[in-house]
Amino acid sequence: MKLADIIQTLSLEELTPQLADAADTEVTQGYASDLLSDVLAHAPSGGLLVTLQVHLNVIAVASHADLCGVIFASHRRPEDEVIAKAAEEGVALFVSGDDTFDVVGRLYQLGVKGTAA
Amino acid sequence: MDFVSYAIEGNDFKAAGAASRAIKEHLKRIGADADAIRRTMIAAYEAEMNVVIHADRGRLEASLSDRAVNVNVIDEGPGIPDIRRAMKEGFSTATSEARALGFGAGMGLPNIQRNSDRLRVSSRVGEGTRISFTVMLKPAATADEQLISLYASAERCIDCHRCLSACPTGAMRVLNGQPSVLEHLCIDCTCCIAACAPHALTLEDDVDALEHVERPSEAVLALPPALLAGFGEHAGVARVLDELGHLGFASLAGVRPYEEALRAAALEHVGGVGAMHPVISPVCPAVMQLVELRFPSLLPHVAPFESPWEALQADADGQRLACVVSCPSQRSALLAAAGLGGAEVVDLPTPGLVRRAVLPALAVGRDQAASGTEDSGEPRADGVLHVSGVTHVLAVLEQIENGLLTSVPVVEPYICDGGCFGSPLLEEDPAVALYHSAHAGAGADGAGRAVPRRRPRTARPGIRLDADMAAAIQKLSQLDELTRSLPGKDCGACGAPTCAALAEDIVMGRAERSLCPYVEQPEVATS
Repeated sequence: MKLADIIQTLSLEELTPQLADAADTEVTQGYASDLLSDVLAHAPSGGLLVTLQVHLNVIAVASHADLCGVIFASHRRPEDEVIAKAAEEGVALFVSGDDTFDVVGRLYQLGVKGTAA
Repeated sequence: MDFVSYAIEGNDFKAAGAASRAIKEHLKRIGADADAIRRTMIAAYEAEMNVVIHADRGRLEASLSDRAVNVNVIDEGPGIPDIRRAMKEGFSTATSEARALGFGAGMGLPNIQRNSDRLRVSSRVGEGTRISFTVMLKPAATADEQLISLYASAERCIDCHRCLSACPTGAMRVLNGQPSVLEHLCIDCTCCIAACAPHALTLEDDVDALEHVERPSEAVLALPPALLAGFGEHAGVARVLDELGHLGFASLAGVRPYEEALRAAALEHVGGVGAMHPVISPVCPAVMQLVELRFPSLLPHVAPFESPWEALQADADGQRLACVVSCPSQRSALLAAAGLGGAEVVDLPTPGLVRRAVLPALAVGRDQAASGTEDSGEPRADGVLHVSGVTHVLAVLEQIENGLLTSVPVVEPYICDGGCFGSPLLEEDPAVALYHSAHAGAGADGAGRAVPRRRPRTARPGIRLDADMAAAIQKLSQLDELTRSLPGKDCGACGAPTCAALAEDIVMGRAERSLCPYVEQPEVATS
């Protein structure tokens, strides 16, 4: 599933439109957690993260764990500084109005699986 | 070698990640593979966050080579009172601020451990913590499969684990009494073999008896000088060669001439074009493996020659060789060389097989020597047997006690490995200091003389089990029985160095049998 299709189907708000190539990224796996050490330990490389955390460290974690993008659930929105850093690091950021459970459920329906599947 | 050094401020969550990001850039530049980069990043970031969350300030330092990245994170912080507990997932002492940000879930250290190939944590409460970890950049299995000549026998292993600490490259593993070696780390040296009392670790053997070497009458038996000189003084090298000549091989060849030729070639190479100083002589294949594994930057120092065994194999083109190698590294080197032309290596009999084959004949000579018919020779006037290191000194003293070294005029024993140059209190390596000392000339040492002993040397009272002889004999039999009932692992868990030592402590009333963790304990009554 292309990131572009996910953005459209889930009606995600794109925070990093400057990452034009990101939409073409193929996404097959994802992870949901608000514990950043847990993300580091378990998130699959190349995957999509769903989280409530919106601070700068999320970008460092996403970058270090080689994630392709982050979806902030429940209308959470990071500060501009965080968005700028993400653009610099090549981590695509999105906001969803749905809560974490619903975001993950809809991703799963699109074929984006967790680490066990 | 590249280097990254970054200051980390405690509580500065925004700046966290800068140091690990810098390492990432370096790793990308040297072309490290993606998985290694990811693992390094996760470990480095967690170590960095550790400082941010817990300490006042710290520093991250990383050194990179094309093989591994080593990261040290040192902080001035509260320290970790119980490192083992801190290594457990879920244990955390983080502030609520850190927790609100999604850290401090007690996963930091476990995360570092999971993602690194080696982790060391040291800490002093009230002073700080040091986290050092290594990530290997090259995958464990390289394209060229490493040939290893170490044989590990689960049957003989007594699960004592001494090989684990003996191995200089951390290649040994023992799981449930099954020893195994990580081939990508093994350098084919003899450290584990030397440490293994039950001989569970030994040289891989290719043939079970010298008679079974294929068509010996068409093969050359090649031998190392140490083996030829290793049958005691009644059987000199000439006699040993003579006996070996009766074994049915077409001829005998020695490695010594190739050793001497290599020494000369290495010395000549010193003045050669592009020689890096000091020149390292490739005399020992295990050291060459060590250089390739751990000191690749030194490879330009290595004189561009084959090791003596490999040279002999290359030189004996068209012949069939049975090579009696004395260590795994020589065997591996020969097997690898066999594909490059030169002699065909038909077999690699172990030194033990050769001993077994010629010892009976040489034992006859021993009697003759005792009766004076063998020319064991007058002691030479100029011979000094230098021996150093407690193991070798013990062996030599035992040989003297057994009357096996009568032709040696002087033995100069030093307890420290490398003589007094090798004292652990001196910082320079004995080999280096000895070299400099020998080339320093007489210096300001002045003259000396031998001074007669002024206080006689006397025997110290032996290890007596009891002042009363009858009681001592009784205790001796008790001791025998006890020793047999102990597992013989000499693990040291009881606090005594060996099982025999524990048995003696028990007999002498210094210890209890229950100290041994392997002896079945009487069941404790439950209330």
